[in-house]
Amino acid sequence: MLTITIDGEECEAEAGQNLLSICLARGIDLPYFCWHPAMGSVGACRQCAVIEHKDEQDQQGQLVMSCMTAIRDGGRYSVDAHAAREFRGGIIENLMTNHPHDCPVCEEGGECHLQDMTEMTGHTVRRYRGPKRTHRNQYLGPFINHEMNRCIACYRCTRYYRDYAGGSDLEALGRNNQVYFGRHEDGRLLNGFSGNLVEVCPTGVFTDKTFSRHYVRKWDQQMAPSICEHCGVGCNTAPAARQPGRPGDPWLRRVTNLYNRDINGYFLCDRGRFGYEYANSPARLSQVLERDNVDVIGSSAGEGVLSHREIPPGEGVEAFARHLEDQGPGKHLLLGIGSPRSSLENNFALRTLAGAEHFYAGLGATDLQLLRLVDTIQRDDRIRSATTPEIEQADAILILGEDIDNTAPRVALAVRQAALNHRRQRAAELKIPDWQDAAVRQLPAPPVPIIFVGWEIPPLADCCTNQMIGTPEILVSFAEAVLATIRKGSGDKDILPAGTEASQDSDIGEVATETAQALAAAKRPLVIAGCGARQPGLLRAAGLIATALAEKKGNAVNTYLACPEVNSLGLVQLLASGDMHLERLQGIVTEARQKGTAVTLVVLENDLSRRLERSQARNLLAEADTVIALDHLPNDTTRRAHLVFPTAATPECQGSVVNSTGRVQRHYGVYEGIGFIQEGWRWLADALSASNQHSDSADQIRSWQHCDDVIRTLAETLPVFSKLPAVSVTVPEGFLVARQSHRASGRTAIGSARHVAELPPPEDTDAPLSYSMEGIHDPAASTLQAMIRAPGWTSNQSIHQFLHGINGPRIGRPEPVTLQRTTAPLPHWQSVELHGSRHQPGENKDAKGLLAIPLYRLIGSGELSNSAEGIASVMTEAFAKIHPADAAALDINQGDEIQLSLGETSLQLQSQLDFEIAPGVIGLPCGLPKFGDIAALLPSQARIIRVIRYGQKMEGDDC
Amino acid sequence: MTNPTGKVWQRIPARQEGPAPELSTEEIRAIDEERSHYENDAAAGLEALRIVQRARGWISDDSLRAISAYLGIAEAELEGLATYYQLLFRRPPGAEVLQLCRSSSCWILGCEQLQGWLEQELQVRPGETTADGIFTLLENPCLGACDRAPVMLLGEALHTNLTEEKLREVLAEKRRRHADQSAD
Repeated sequence: MLTITIDGEECEAEAGQNLLSICLARGIDLPYFCWHPAMGSVGACRQCAVIEHKDEQDQQGQLVMSCMTAIRDGGRYSVDAHAAREFRGGIIENLMTNHPHDCPVCEEGGECHLQDMTEMTGHTVRRYRGPKRTHRNQYLGPFINHEMNRCIACYRCTRYYRDYAGGSDLEALGRNNQVYFGRHEDGRLLNGFSGNLVEVCPTGVFTDKTFSRHYVRKWDQQMAPSICEHCGVGCNTAPAARQPGRPGDPWLRRVTNLYNRDINGYFLCDRGRFGYEYANSPARLSQVLERDNVDVIGSSAGEGVLSHREIPPGEGVEAFARHLEDQGPGKHLLLGIGSPRSSLENNFALRTLAGAEHFYAGLGATDLQLLRLVDTIQRDDRIRSATTPEIEQADAILILGEDIDNTAPRVALAVRQAALNHRRQRAAELKIPDWQDAAVRQLPAPPVPIIFVGWEIPPLADCCTNQMIGTPEILVSFAEAVLATIRKGSGDKDILPAGTEASQDSDIGEVATETAQALAAAKRPLVIAGCGARQPGLLRAAGLIATALAEKKGNAVNTYLACPEVNSLGLVQLLASGDMHLERLQGIVTEARQKGTAVTLVVLENDLSRRLERSQARNLLAEADTVIALDHLPNDTTRRAHLVFPTAATPECQGSVVNSTGRVQRHYGVYEGIGFIQEGWRWLADALSASNQHSDSADQIRSWQHCDDVIRTLAETLPVFSKLPAVSVTVPEGFLVARQSHRASGRTAIGSARHVAELPPPEDTDAPLSYSMEGIHDPAASTLQAMIRAPGWTSNQSIHQFLHGINGPRIGRPEPVTLQRTTAPLPHWQSVELHGSRHQPGENKDAKGLLAIPLYRLIGSGELSNSAEGIASVMTEAFAKIHPADAAALDINQGDEIQLSLGETSLQLQSQLDFEIAPGVIGLPCGLPKFGDIAALLPSQARIIRVIRYGQKMEGDDC
Repeated sequence: MTNPTGKVWQRIPARQEGPAPELSTEEIRAIDEERSHYENDAAAGLEALRIVQRARGWISDDSLRAISAYLGIAEAELEGLATYYQLLFRRPPGAEVLQLCRSSSCWILGCEQLQGWLEQELQVRPGETTADGIFTLLENPCLGACDRAPVMLLGEALHTNLTEEKLREVLAEKRRRHADQSAD
């Protein structure tokens, strides 16, 4: 600790920091632009100048840029000195000469860092009378607006986009007064993290285009903490809503980042930021639907599709209740199908309703196997699940088969930061502080070993030291070779398991040895794998490599095992046994039907045709006597259900979810939503209450009033969730946290076009949050306050005021709640022979066969986000990716329509020839609209039935 | 296209080798020569732009794309370079490029008036080309000939101790030559 004096006040500060971060952390209002807590200092904007005095005698001192000044013991600084204030005033006056002063029509207005800093500096009168430079703006795609005239040339955007996120299509163009931040030509910003520019830009150059369509000022928004529902990482978000004032306006307006040091820090991916629009989709279910007696005619509807009519919710609940009655042996069977994208509360309510023995995961056998494997591996105490800062600090990373850029994007962004770690280390040796961004980035140092093995070159490729692409079989043998080398602890090639691919191919052996050595030599190695690859062998190998490393090092090794959906890991904990998958359910249904027992399926927020091969899913739904579905959006399953209940989307309700690292997090309702929507568990509880069912579990369900009641029962029922009640944040007795700001306008007027009554704001029965401006506003007083602002700081750059130190944890955030899993080395997963899970190429291997494997896309693979307007407008066309050598052998050209058969399913996709995919495989896109069920079929041997030449219509030559 | 190794296992996908269709053999030879001097290909980006400009007079979008494909540098990065240097032309310049010095010595000796006269005479602003395509007017921060200020570079020739009279003569002479050429 060093002692320094700022404006005559003595304070202690940690050595090695820069003066700006210390001032900000102490709550001193010191204006800045180019500095960013995640990106360090470059000293470009000159806005944070202060006076540094040599000693007590030195009255005059000299100007220094605080962001570039490392504090020294006994240092004397003055932020308030006249010379410093005058200098800062001059800087901002100069920066503002070209600024259009269009705040009233600028979307940044009211949450603008430039506005804040201008006010803070006291530059209130404009003296410059000359002409302003003007720019032509670019079209940057459906997500981001471009208004270059507002630019103050702080270079934050390119530093973020290029240096931090690895983008290559945004640059500083031109020079001098004409510097222009844009693309080389109009077009969508292609980096998957482009949306963060909206928050990184201190002014309104980059703004959220999806938000433009239904814009409201920040002070008019209502916010609550939420969790991103579009993957398993569990990024914290602050969705913003406002009651529609005009017809056609939606409630939900946008999503911004909500800082959580351990997960998302300051950044979200584009699917998370722009995927929110699904909740505003005109297709949203808002009424209870009952099967109509009219049959749907016509081929376009698809087989088994029922027509529906809206019924009052009470009637729907009564109808549901009738299906809950007369259950029991020999009577009528009720089976619950849970969902990895639904909260613990919803899934647990269904489990209680149906009984644990009748509660199924709503996943195919492979999906469930993969998730259980992740869960089991994570239970081993030689393995730790890495937080984002830990990933960023890793000094050797092995990514085994998982395309994290597309399945766990925020993790890929963290991996990208790790690539600089040897430079940071070298900088430390040279006594260069790590926040000296430009200096650190230019230091010559060997790259951090980041080894990617998979079947497609990932977007992360530019920071990988070694990338390998091959068939799953080859990847598994690579992993075996790495494992063997780590276990033996030497680089001898002859220790490679004989008879494997690795021992035959010197290339694999060589890279495996290098990889093993890099991991073994690293202080903080990290192994990444996940469910996306759909290869249990690779997951298992990742676990084995991590444990072997842990044995060597004598401490737990960091891993990140990516789960596909927001509550995948939570769902697995609720299952009575490991085989509660849909294939088994199918058997049970068939059996019951044969015995003449009536079967009711309750499907909770799950589209079975994304879990099973489509016709299989349709058969299952057709076979059941009654299907009751609960969901946000219509899908293949709801269209075949006899009763459909509309449920609240994530930003509309409270719920708890478990992310890929086993951390339980809660999302709160931001607004109430339209129509008769409510949480799935409430529909289930309503139905049960209306029934004549009486049992312990039924009484339990009847007693549930609030979200916390469900959570409490869950914690009592399953020990793995024993810590769960701690996820409820409490506020001082008698207080609520305000969702709206003090300045929220139109409270009594916004609905006056429809009715004159001044209705009281709705009450939140679940959370200590108010739907009005009354309550706690200070983000330091409660972590439930998601609107990040402070006096003088309207933008969410003010987050530093609510953290324990710059980049520290949020003030008041309780210890994270994790699953209480038994943590002991579990030998059984280790003993499983790796070869056993290898894909066995079919016996009738024919020359035209390729192994079909899954590919994911950030824009396109998300079930819910695909219904978002912006995302849907740039959806990837479905494709089949083939290595040119394979394509040549099969006589396939770029753009040909190829007809494939995977088992009994036949698909027609356009070919894409690419050297970036491994030979021997054919990559098929997962989760794309119309092809939602492809994932369930993979991996499997694909037979190419015929090729329709590009340009030709229907007649293709049979091959 | 064939798989270069023929092996199932591949370390890094092979970038398409061979000359990009848009660059000439001479340009590629010169670029290769330059890039042999640097540790990475990206460092040769600026030289590549100069080579292409020398051959074609300016850098079109297609030329930029061709260099980008050949050196594996992002187009945006090359565009950043090309727009930073005012002597790299992203639009076809006039036959004669005028660079008027704007240093303090030239300013004291009246370069502003000269510039005003030039802009009036040619009907262009700095950075623009005359309608007849003969002259492009650029500003230059200092040509290093302060003792003979005000100065101007016309093509590669330095014109010193400028006056309106001198400028008028120079322009007239150039115009005459271009008129003769087009008459031929």
